[in-house]
Amino acid sequence: MNLFEIIYTGSNQALAAAEGLLKQAIDQKGKAHKVAFPETAYSLPVIYAATGLKMNSLGDLEGAIGVVKSLITEEPRLEPALNAGLATAVSAEIIEAIKYALNDTPYEAPCAGHISDATIRSLGVPLVTGDIPGVAVVLGECPDSETAAKVIKDYQSKGLLTFLVGKVIDQAIEANVKMGLELRVIPLGYDVTSVIHVVSVAIRASLIFGGVEPGKLAEHMEYTKNRVPAFVNAFGPLSELVVSAGAGAIALGFPVITDQDVLEVPTLLLTQKDYDKVTATSLEARGIKIKVTEIPIPVSFAAAFEGERVRKDD
Amino acid sequence: MSDTKMVSLDAMDEQLIQKAKQEGVETMWDRKVTMKAPCGFGEKGVCCRICAMGPCRVSPVEGKGAQRGICGATADTIVARNFARMIAAGTAAHSDHAREIAHVMHLASKDGNYTIKDEKKLLRLAEEWEVKTEGKDIYDIAHEVAEIALNEFGKPFGTLRFLERAPEPRKKIWEKLKIKPRAIDREIATIMHSTHMGCTSDAESLIHMGMRTALADGWGGSMIGTEFSDILFGTPVPRETEANLGVLEEKQINILLHGHEPSLSEMIVMASQDPELVKLAHEVGAEGINLAGMCCTGNEVTMRHGVKIAGNFYQQELAVLTGVVEAVIVDVQCIFPSLTPITDCYHTKFITTSPKAKITGATHIEFNEEKALESAKGIVREAIENFKNRKQDKIFIPKTKAQATVGYSVEAVIKQLDRVVNSQIDPLGTVKPLADVIKAGVLRGAAGIVGCNNPKTQHDYGHIEVMKKLIANDVIVVTTGCAAQAAAKAGLTSKDAAKLAGKGLQAVCELVDIPPVLHMGSCVDISRIITLVSETAKFMGVDNCDLPVVGVAPEWMSEKAVAIGNYVMASGIDVFLGVLPPVTGSPEVVDLLTNRVEEMTGAKFFMDEDSLKLADMMLVRIEEKRKNLEKLGLATMNTAQEDDASTTALSEIV
Repeated sequence: MNLFEIIYTGSNQALAAAEGLLKQAIDQKGKAHKVAFPETAYSLPVIYAATGLKMNSLGDLEGAIGVVKSLITEEPRLEPALNAGLATAVSAEIIEAIKYALNDTPYEAPCAGHISDATIRSLGVPLVTGDIPGVAVVLGECPDSETAAKVIKDYQSKGLLTFLVGKVIDQAIEANVKMGLELRVIPLGYDVTSVIHVVSVAIRASLIFGGVEPGKLAEHMEYTKNRVPAFVNAFGPLSELVVSAGAGAIALGFPVITDQDVLEVPTLLLTQKDYDKVTATSLEARGIKIKVTEIPIPVSFAAAFEGERVRKDD
Repeated sequence: MSDTKMVSLDAMDEQLIQKAKQEGVETMWDRKVTMKAPCGFGEKGVCCRICAMGPCRVSPVEGKGAQRGICGATADTIVARNFARMIAAGTAAHSDHAREIAHVMHLASKDGNYTIKDEKKLLRLAEEWEVKTEGKDIYDIAHEVAEIALNEFGKPFGTLRFLERAPEPRKKIWEKLKIKPRAIDREIATIMHSTHMGCTSDAESLIHMGMRTALADGWGGSMIGTEFSDILFGTPVPRETEANLGVLEEKQINILLHGHEPSLSEMIVMASQDPELVKLAHEVGAEGINLAGMCCTGNEVTMRHGVKIAGNFYQQELAVLTGVVEAVIVDVQCIFPSLTPITDCYHTKFITTSPKAKITGATHIEFNEEKALESAKGIVREAIENFKNRKQDKIFIPKTKAQATVGYSVEAVIKQLDRVVNSQIDPLGTVKPLADVIKAGVLRGAAGIVGCNNPKTQHDYGHIEVMKKLIANDVIVVTTGCAAQAAAKAGLTSKDAAKLAGKGLQAVCELVDIPPVLHMGSCVDISRIITLVSETAKFMGVDNCDLPVVGVAPEWMSEKAVAIGNYVMASGIDVFLGVLPPVTGSPEVVDLLTNRVEEMTGAKFFMDEDSLKLADMMLVRIEEKRKNLEKLGLATMNTAQEDDASTTALSEIV
């Protein structure tokens, strides 16, 4: 398939999954059943930012399905392809919202799932000051745990905030990467759709710090592109759904760097097979420049380790 | 004027045509009206005058009226012969242009008027042509390279050197079709021979010969013209300029540079900066010397010096009508002889400079390349001294002009592409970013829009409408010649124009920092376009005909355009014509050009007088080529099976 066909296939898969899941949920709980993410004032943030509408019930989500459908027009052009990527993001948010609607604790440690407003606000200052120079979203599966750890620790040592999605979480655990908000490594979830919780962070940055009005999607995209220095590393074989989600990232201004053979788009969708160069490639693609003063000490040194707790056993 | 609305897209043109009417000056539009309906035999190409038994004219309808000329030539033969001669003339024009430039390079010296400006490009060419460079003076190298180039015009053996630059599969096609041009002048002579009465009488054979001759232009004359001009005068880099007749200045000496060969215009540019002449300009009461270019010589000097563009082919008479042009300096090609009567109505001096293009009634000051600068100064001086003769009551400068970014040589394009290369992944200096966006589909394809103006079409309408439609559909446009000037006047070569482009092209324009329509130079610089396409094809490991690329001439007029169209087609790129060539009298020739040549070259001609329809046809063709690219596995990628979220079931959640 060509790139756009893959994106549309993935978007339609996400749509079908969201639609199917919503139907099951409504059959089971009724349209009035409450929908909300915990500890946020922005309802379902992606849908809220895109449409200005707050989703309160499963019934409301039916309307959101309509938004997804309207975003998928399968023409062989970049604009509809990026819109289809956004559609996948909305589908993912619907799926994740249903998870929260039907289960009080859909995510358990180590996975964080939805990120609270308070956490985002606490990240705001270091993001503005450049103390957190960037946000890495590491998704999929590395060839082995050591590689995963090497990439993640590299971001960590440079002070980046890293979100993990998929099997890479297990690989990080296996390689003893220390995780947690204070260590700037946050595992989100194993499903691809859980990547929406980091999109939600970027979108809420636009709503909270950017003061961009809900419903002004183009302005939100402009804000994330210019102000949220995020990028995606997609490792391992890519499904249509992942490629489609990647288009959503690109729509928000976040380049995607993968270890797979893809149809590259300069600065936006890149293949880097040398894992030693993934970090440098990603930082260059997102235009992140880090001033590093190397201190020759035998342990890692970075702001990311500030909140680290040294336990008895250590 | 029977239908003034048809005349021009540009309100300014209309104003000046009105002025012409009021002042009783005849313009091309008046003459077009006087011509009345054109002769149907000539229009369809079935009129033959190549021997004294004729003129013969045969019926364009099979089975009705005269079917053969006196010698027995059929409509097919007559049409193909006439067409082949158009190609020969176009090739001859470009080639003589190139020969002049090669001679100038042979003349270049360290302390002379002509020097080597781009040594790197010369050294690259020397290496390509296996000229030893080590320890040699750059001018010795230049002279040796120039001599080799001059031999390309008439060498007795072998085929043209630049053909080696084509993608491998293309070379094989040429080989198989036996259309590898041997020597440039020889191909032109062969056409003249074979189209003599009683010689070739087979349409297909003549079309073949036409392709070979045209290739001698694109991969011979024009390519030599461009390469050598870059070496002598500098390879163009992006720069800002302005376009349209509004660039003429009321308080300055306005010199209109019109024609083609940069060996003259480059010297005029130098002369116009000469302190003594600038001082003289002030002495006669002007604020300075304002050069304004027209047609291809205008393109040459705007690409290399940012000299403002007064207008394109259609506007050469209109420029004089402003009443502020002190001199129209011309050399060769596309110069209306009507500039004589028109300049007679004003103070404007019409100065011819080349012995190859003398015009009755013009002031002929022969340009002497041996004393180039001195010669140019003399010409500029004439213009300055003419300032005092302006007829104040006849002055009218329309205010319109547009900002333009020009100077996109292949080298400049690649340098821009380097901006989007991730240094951790790829080396600099390749066409990979271009190949990538084409493969990914961010750009659907590329179009080269070239050609002239033609009173059969509304001035610039075809150029502009086709460009707008293509860029809106994420097709990047490269342009040369009068099409490029139309684009510049319409603001399409400004970076601002990205807002008119589709999202894909817009993204590319922003990332690469280019306008959606790239001005690549003069008509010989179409060789830059085929170089860029061929480099991309080579990079992707395919032939030119595999790429989603089209060539378009919406308002073509000259025989040069016919030669260009044929070498572009023979290079594997589809050619779209907005003006019908005189071939419609032969269904056989039409079938060959618009159908059967595809089996030979992988490309063919498309013709339609409706520019918008033509643009639609291009978009369809581009998508067809993309499908082909996918079949070759070049624009597709594999994906893995999704094993989680898309199939998430409710039971897994609760």
